[in-house]
Amino acid sequence: MDPDTAIGGPHGHFPSTQLSLLEAATAEGLPNEALDRVVALYWKPVYCFIRRKFRQDNEDAKDLTQSFFTSALQRDFFARFDPAKASFRTYLRMAVERFAASQHEAAHRQKRGGEVAFEPVAEQAATTGSPEEVFEREWQRQLFALAVDDLRTHCDGCGKQLQLRIFEDYDLAASDRPSYAALAARHQIAETSVTNHLAWARRMLRGFVTERLRGVTAGEQELRKEMRRAWS
Amino acid sequence: MELSDSVLDHLRHVAALPDLAGTRYELEREIGRGGLGVVYLARDRQLDRHVALKVLDSALDGEAQLIARLEHPGIVPVYEAGTLPDGRIFYAMKLVAGAPLDGYLAGAPSLGERLRAIRRVGEVLAFAHARGTIHRDLKPQNVMVGGFGEVYVMDWGVDAVAGTPAFRAPEAQLDRRSDIYALGALLEFVLPRSAAPALRAIAAKAMNADPTARYTEAPALLADIERFQDGLAVQAWSEPWWHRWRRFGSRNAVLLWPLVAYAGVKLLLFLLRIL
Repeated sequence: MDPDTAIGGPHGHFPSTQLSLLEAATAEGLPNEALDRVVALYWKPVYCFIRRKFRQDNEDAKDLTQSFFTSALQRDFFARFDPAKASFRTYLRMAVERFAASQHEAAHRQKRGGEVAFEPVAEQAATTGSPEEVFEREWQRQLFALAVDDLRTHCDGCGKQLQLRIFEDYDLAASDRPSYAALAARHQIAETSVTNHLAWARRMLRGFVTERLRGVTAGEQELRKEMRRAWS
Repeated sequence: MELSDSVLDHLRHVAALPDLAGTRYELEREIGRGGLGVVYLARDRQLDRHVALKVLDSALDGEAQLIARLEHPGIVPVYEAGTLPDGRIFYAMKLVAGAPLDGYLAGAPSLGERLRAIRRVGEVLAFAHARGTIHRDLKPQNVMVGGFGEVYVMDWGVDAVAGTPAFRAPEAQLDRRSDIYALGALLEFVLPRSAAPALRAIAAKAMNADPTARYTEAPALLADIERFQDGLAVQAWSEPWWHRWRRFGSRNAVLLWPLVAYAGVKLLLFLLRIL
């Protein structure tokens, strides 16, 4: 399989208090800002899900993903979402599955003149997780990546670069994490300040994750459930 | 930015940790996880003691207020409740040094000790029911047995989203008879394989699918256990005659053995005389 695309949807900065999906919805559908939030969070998980589930290569998966979102925006996709039946995340994944299956089938019928059954994906055994698990994992990854972006933007805007650097040095460390003492020496601050700065950054990160989730859930109850799925 | 798996897992972990800034507590480690929240070991800096700190994701939980109304030696007292900076509700409770009921059984306690634990749970339920409160999710993980044999019933009023089926009454509308069902399931859970049929019958009566066929209240179940321990007939079981005689013999052994010995001696003397 060729490497995953670098496209991850737009990374905009959103106000700190988001409206829920239902609150944002109007008679004409979702406003652009609310749609951007959905696409920003779900583009990559949908793309990875399609690649894994339907054995699509990079470009085909990108095209299918783009087609899905375009189609969803044109139809009454968001209006048909019923939070009583499932979370928006589940609703969207099932919609992607139906959409991609029909597109995939149509493409094969055109090529071969008949219905084509999906072949079992042998490479799945080599990598980890079912397509559904990959979708969930990428959703978490994208959610936290967006929240880290939000945290950076916030820190830049309010002069909290030191807190951000400590957060990056410790919580985003790719390999061995430095000790608090080493971080304190590196930034010439007290060790207790390292603890405080990290606690602040983590609190903000959690807040940004919550805000991102609020924008793609239908209310407090769904939000709480999604929060638990995000970090438990 | 792209997050690696290890960084993502780390971020998920730290995002879930409660921020205790502004409270008197210092986080030490996670000690338990339930349907609605996580329990941490924390240190109360002001009083220099350890507490169990329960952090909930739901803002609707009323367990702390509910427990505060139920003062009983078998209910873990809540020291303090509050809201964390991120909006989550927490409450600090007495830290119980002990094991949940399933862990306690791993130490192979005697039948008497097992029944004693069930009776303590029943007494707590009776106390709560008398005050109009039901537990809703009684199961081995929610019963703690302390180092001195003290028994605590925990996680009150939580209508578990996915309760443990073996301990959950079949009816949709839970009431105190649903707690009786769970108490019967707990009794069945603690009984060893060799347990007497009378004890199994008590558990079965409490776990009847028809709520009206169960014990009407916890004290009635406890009374049946007590009758069993006193060697009396239990209400839940109509025992066969031979069982009744064996129980009679067992209860009156002190009286019967001298009588048997006396009759044996008389018989022996009689036989010696006629031979």
